[in-house]
Amino acid sequence: MKYIIPRIALRNLSRQKKRSFLLGGAIAFGIMIVTLINGFAGAFIENVSENFAYLMAGHVFVQGAEKTPSGKRLSVIRDDSIIFSAVRDSGLSYEFATKTSEVSASLFFEGKTIRQNLTGLDLATNLFLRERVVLRQGSWDAIGPDSIILSEKIASRLNVLPGDRITASFQTLTGQNNIADFTLAAISVDSSIIGSVMSYVDLAYINEAIGLKSGEYMALGFMLNDLKAAEAFASRLYTSMAGMGIQLFDRSANEEGSAATPFQAMIRTQRSEDWQGSRYSVYTIDDIVSQAKQIVVALDGASLIILLVLFAIVMIGINNTFRMVMYERIKEIGTMRAVGVQRKEIRSLFLNEALFLALGGAVAGLVLALIAMSILSLIDFGMNTPAFMIMKNGHLSFFVPPLRAVFNVVIIAALTLLAAYFPAKAAAKMEPAVALRTAK
Amino acid sequence: MAIIEVRDVKKTYPLGKVEVQAVKGVSFSIEKGDFISIAGPSGSGKSTILNMIGLIDKPSSGEVLIEGRPTSGLSDKELTRLRHEVLGFIFQSFNLIPVLNVWENIEFPLLLGKTKVSATEKKEWIDWLIDEVSLSEWRTHKPNELSGGQRQRVAIARALVTKPGIVLADEPTANLDSSTGEQIIELMKKINRELSTTFIFSTHDAKIVEVADHIIRLKDGLIVENKRLNGAGSPDQVRE
Repeated sequence: MKYIIPRIALRNLSRQKKRSFLLGGAIAFGIMIVTLINGFAGAFIENVSENFAYLMAGHVFVQGAEKTPSGKRLSVIRDDSIIFSAVRDSGLSYEFATKTSEVSASLFFEGKTIRQNLTGLDLATNLFLRERVVLRQGSWDAIGPDSIILSEKIASRLNVLPGDRITASFQTLTGQNNIADFTLAAISVDSSIIGSVMSYVDLAYINEAIGLKSGEYMALGFMLNDLKAAEAFASRLYTSMAGMGIQLFDRSANEEGSAATPFQAMIRTQRSEDWQGSRYSVYTIDDIVSQAKQIVVALDGASLIILLVLFAIVMIGINNTFRMVMYERIKEIGTMRAVGVQRKEIRSLFLNEALFLALGGAVAGLVLALIAMSILSLIDFGMNTPAFMIMKNGHLSFFVPPLRAVFNVVIIAALTLLAAYFPAKAAAKMEPAVALRTAK
Repeated sequence: MAIIEVRDVKKTYPLGKVEVQAVKGVSFSIEKGDFISIAGPSGSGKSTILNMIGLIDKPSSGEVLIEGRPTSGLSDKELTRLRHEVLGFIFQSFNLIPVLNVWENIEFPLLLGKTKVSATEKKEWIDWLIDEVSLSEWRTHKPNELSGGQRQRVAIARALVTKPGIVLADEPTANLDSSTGEQIIELMKKINRELSTTFIFSTHDAKIVEVADHIIRLKDGLIVENKRLNGAGSPDQVRE
């Protein structure tokens, strides 16, 4: 056939330019919308994970836990040399490690009170935090042992300014009530939900206040070069620590009949099980934000529904158009059949035309989506937008998994072919004499 | 042996709730190389007979034999293949494919089926046909850029490109002015002489009928005259 049928099909698209443009445009619009949603969902997890990683200063975390005789769970790493030894032994590399302790506290200032998580880090030396946290007021130079950095929203609710003394009330590791005074060193730009519940204090100061000895802390975070390496890092570290006979919580725990993620199951195990001595959990930032993946699944599901609804409408249009085309070209069908074109080739002529329309529309839709993504990602929403956590440095970011894009195109092509199939079949079934007689 | 043999062929069409008998039982044969005119007024059954000879319509009863081969039991696929190999078609309203240019329209039948022709041979043959129908200057033009006469010449070249034994032309001059119509008939006659291709054309134009060397006249679905001219052979039996 030397591609004569596809060639004619392709040229046929230019016969009714306006009609082809509208049909192709409808396909392109649908693909564009779906690709934008897929692109947003594709980058969502990575952005959330990366932003969490920055706020929590790590991609992979090791947390120590002990159970007291009374059944209370203590979060503590008393000797981190075994962890670093496991890291060294397994040849793992990281950018830097951050030791943190965290306590839930009530902050008081002139009769106002607010609940906050105080995250203790080495404020004096943690360059990463200095790079990441944007200060609205105050300065890193003002950091002292009793310093606290509050987000803008919290500072505003407490009505405090840098230099003010804030009192914090919290429980020590053993459950006793304690208070400590902090000096507000700086006010940071809000970092979304996390920013409104998280304040930074000095590790040594908070450790002393909650009853941890020198050199002890609650969690060790490893910041890697690449978020994608986190799972492999965690997995190897886990294996290495297990090989050293260290007690560990199962990373892949599953609860039967529960929708809980392995990370949630691991947290519950820590509450319900008893053990002696120190036991460690190894987890990644992805484990923490695993619930956010459900949002991605929902977005992907929504995009698929949108795709199907949009294309159900487009399919009706394509079906009607191809029925019209069949009657418009009835003389040609008769002529082609008379000169030796077989029925299946007539069907193929229509289906090829539909396929080219679908592919043309899909490619145009993908290009439009890429252009729209480029433009949207240029807009700077700033670091203090409420949607900060789902953005990349204050910009919307998109990632369309190539297989997803291919899947969308295949779905469109299949639906378009299905819409054109029945008119194509009717055209192929037409007797040549009937077609030629009808056209006269 | 007759290249076409029509044996007691009848054709009935459903028209609403009634049935119309377009052809009421005709028999005739056509020899290879004939230049034959099927004449008669509108509704006499010319096109119906031509369609049945051309295997694009099936008789309600009777038999059409092409090159001695009965066609009534053939499947659609076999009929299509036979049309492609043995028959060429020229239509009243030219029926060119609008998205193909002159050269491509003529080439089109050669790209169908399983017949393989070398590129050089194909090019030489199509170029010869284009010269023969005087369209050398128009080979890259689309049908909508041609006059009616030029379009019909393209259709003639297309009908001949597969070197068929029989070319069927249904009212080939009906959409042309008389002078162009005569030129088209002359061209068909010339090719008939040069290539010994059998030409069967239907017409209601008395002037054009006389050019044929074998005339079959129809009236109300029956043959009223079947005669060979210029000593082209003895006439078949005439039914009235």
